[in-house]
Amino acid sequence: MTPAADADATAPRYLRDRYAIVGVGETTYTRGSNLSTRALGTWAVKNAMEDAGIPAAELDGMMSYSNNDSTPSPMIAGDLGLRLNFYMDVYGGGSSSEALVGLAMGAIEAGMCNAVAIFRSMNGYSQVRIGGTGARARAPVAGDALHTTPYGWFSAGQNFSPSFMRHMYDYGTTPEQLAMVKVIHSEHASNNPKAYYRQRVTVDDVLNSRMIVKPLRLLDCCVETDNATALIVTRAERAGDYRHRSPRVLGVAGRVCKPRSDMHFQHGPISTVAGRYIRDIIWPNAGVGPEDIDLTGAYDAFTFTTMLQLEDYGFCAKGEGGDYVSSGVMRLGGERPNNTSGGHLCEGYTHGMNMIIENVRQLRGEVDDSCPLDGRGHRLHTYDYSEGGCRQVRDANVSMNLGWAMPGTGSSLVMRRG
Amino acid sequence: MAKRPQPRFPEPHTEPFWEGAKQGELRYQRCAACEGVVFYPRQHCPACGADELEWLVSKGEGTVYTFSVVRQNRMPGFIDLGAYSVAYVDLDEGFRMMSGVIGVENPTTDIAIGQRVRVEFEEQEEGEYPIPLFRPIG
Repeated sequence: MTPAADADATAPRYLRDRYAIVGVGETTYTRGSNLSTRALGTWAVKNAMEDAGIPAAELDGMMSYSNNDSTPSPMIAGDLGLRLNFYMDVYGGGSSSEALVGLAMGAIEAGMCNAVAIFRSMNGYSQVRIGGTGARARAPVAGDALHTTPYGWFSAGQNFSPSFMRHMYDYGTTPEQLAMVKVIHSEHASNNPKAYYRQRVTVDDVLNSRMIVKPLRLLDCCVETDNATALIVTRAERAGDYRHRSPRVLGVAGRVCKPRSDMHFQHGPISTVAGRYIRDIIWPNAGVGPEDIDLTGAYDAFTFTTMLQLEDYGFCAKGEGGDYVSSGVMRLGGERPNNTSGGHLCEGYTHGMNMIIENVRQLRGEVDDSCPLDGRGHRLHTYDYSEGGCRQVRDANVSMNLGWAMPGTGSSLVMRRG
Repeated sequence: MAKRPQPRFPEPHTEPFWEGAKQGELRYQRCAACEGVVFYPRQHCPACGADELEWLVSKGEGTVYTFSVVRQNRMPGFIDLGAYSVAYVDLDEGFRMMSGVIGVENPTTDIAIGQRVRVEFEEQEEGEYPIPLFRPIG
């Protein structure tokens, strides 16, 4: 049974509409930040505070996640002159950011604090790289590693690729279809001055890049960058105190697992991912369905992760993910654009947080592209999505973030325009 | 000779598996209460929770459920391998095991889902425990 199995989807339950994301901020996306994760995290939270216009006295909660590659909240709070009533630093990478939004709502609901800043700070290129070197390479071969390490199964790409291979086998999904995820995200990134990779690429560029872990080629894999990202959650009724028309949280699902999360691959079908289970929670809780979603943020650690999630959440039929991602639906100007910032494949890697930030800005109608500003600092969006142009989605009312930890675990966040 | 990482003991629940590898046996567990097949070795049956698990020896034959090929790995133990496969193998006794397929000329092109494979225990340059890997049958 899922938590929402007894819910009336027409009634505002599970804190639907009661919370808002009132501020977002980030550092530059770079390689070789030459800064500590403490300095990066402080910079990102400070930017989120300035974005919201929230005074230090009103921000009394902080949360973060990391793979022991960050700096804990008390340090960041100290640097910002905040006195916290609540903090929690958890272990985790992808899919943590959506889950932590839900936990922040719970902490506020319980009266523990009034507003929570959530941050992710990482030197993902110059210190701890996710791609299999660094800390992971030195882990001792004991405990759970005994059934993986002797076989050479370490990095995310090595971990996920067997699922991708089986999907291609079961459904005839092709490398050409998957390449379109990178192509589309690169188009979006070309309109994002913040993105680390802003150059548009073609299907041939992807297919001609070298094989890393079959079936992944270099351009199927996300970029590794140094950066920090942050957002601020508080009650919807306080959102009016701050600067923006802040998006409301319609629903959240956190760290939902497939059966047997210890070894999900033993319990097929392996080409099904956690989204198959998340959808039973998130749609009733949010009170919307796939047809109501105007834009998605489907985690793109790899081109395949975007596709597998969109498919299992029900944006297309099972097995038709290849068609969905290559059809143009996900393009700016398409029916449901995905990762309009360029995502992890192009903008930068922050374990999902930057995709929430992007959707917050989209729902405000204030995406930071190169469109001209009016006298009050608001963008005059042109909706011309050609290279270097606009990336604001027209009439962006409801967004969904599809967070990925691994094939067997994920999270989701649905927001609406404030 | 390969230099894959060795298990580090004590490891109460998995040591019998690795002792089996030393004797050329691919061992798995079966729940005495519900008769469910259990792999990787553990203390309790994940299906019924019983803690009486008996050890059996697999015939070592199975089918490749899925796989990938790591083109290079700079970690000690893998740096000399060049391209190598990681495969999930469905053993005929009813459990799925992470391992790899060896004995093909080109792992990137010569391994397929559905391929029949048989276990073999690859001796390692360092350490006394061979690593169970699979070779295509026929």
